[in-house]
Amino acid sequence: MSGTESVAFDTPQRERRADNFAMWVFIGSEAMLFGAIFLVFLVAHIDFGPAFAAASKHLSLPIGTLNTAVLITSSFTMALAHMLALHRRWRATVWALAATSALGICFLAVKGIEYGKEIGEGLAPLLGLPFRYAGPDPTHAEFFFGLYFAMTSLHALHLIGGIVVIAGMVALWRTASPANRLRRVVAVGLYWHFVDIIWVFMFPVLYLINR
Amino acid sequence: MSELRKLTFGYLGLLALLALTVGSSLFDLGGFNVALNLAIAAAKAVLIAMLFMHLTGMLPRLAVAAAGLWLVILFGLTLIGR
Repeated sequence: MSGTESVAFDTPQRERRADNFAMWVFIGSEAMLFGAIFLVFLVAHIDFGPAFAAASKHLSLPIGTLNTAVLITSSFTMALAHMLALHRRWRATVWALAATSALGICFLAVKGIEYGKEIGEGLAPLLGLPFRYAGPDPTHAEFFFGLYFAMTSLHALHLIGGIVVIAGMVALWRTASPANRLRRVVAVGLYWHFVDIIWVFMFPVLYLINR
Repeated sequence: MSELRKLTFGYLGLLALLALTVGSSLFDLGGFNVALNLAIAAAKAVLIAMLFMHLTGMLPRLAVAAAGLWLVILFGLTLIGR
């Protein structure tokens, strides 16, 4: 064997290029999924602008800003993991991966607190929860909050997926060859940065666009 | 490691752009707020893609361009009839 994980590849270089291309194609398909839901938001915003503007002001800008900073930091630690893996500093790589998933969990915890606050204020039109909204045009405000929960929970599911994959990678760390450790760090890194980019667009669209 | 310096500058740049986008919401610029916020988000995305994701090489750029093209068609065809 020539250091490749799959027998389909002659050299590790070819395997890495195939990995990389496959991850980018996957990210492209994920961009279609998120693109469609952003498009629904855009069309609804064009139709019900004033209702969306009023509803958006009920979201907590400080919490959203904090969470954006947390996620950007997790992308930084993930980029560090990639750099450290390239230098074969494996112990430090594992620490950077652990920091990344810890920051991901921190993001989810803050998001959970924010959800709790919104449910408490009666702004969550989900699962038959009571929807109480005193502002103008409550019907379309309810649609705004429905979209808000759909978009943020889809994003949160992706983050949970990333955290689970990192945990699996760390669990299998000792059994993986150096080449395969690097491949996995690169692949999960691309995914993690993509999920960060999605949030980078969700944050202004949901929290800022109407302020 | 100059790589570490590059990543750190990128990270600080992202935080500065976040501060800028939140700060801009304190001022009423009319419709310009929306354009500014989306431009800043795009700038952040480019920073992440180039510095953190190492978006280099023909094949990855092709995949991104193809996704971008389909999104333009998706948004374009939806909005053109409105």
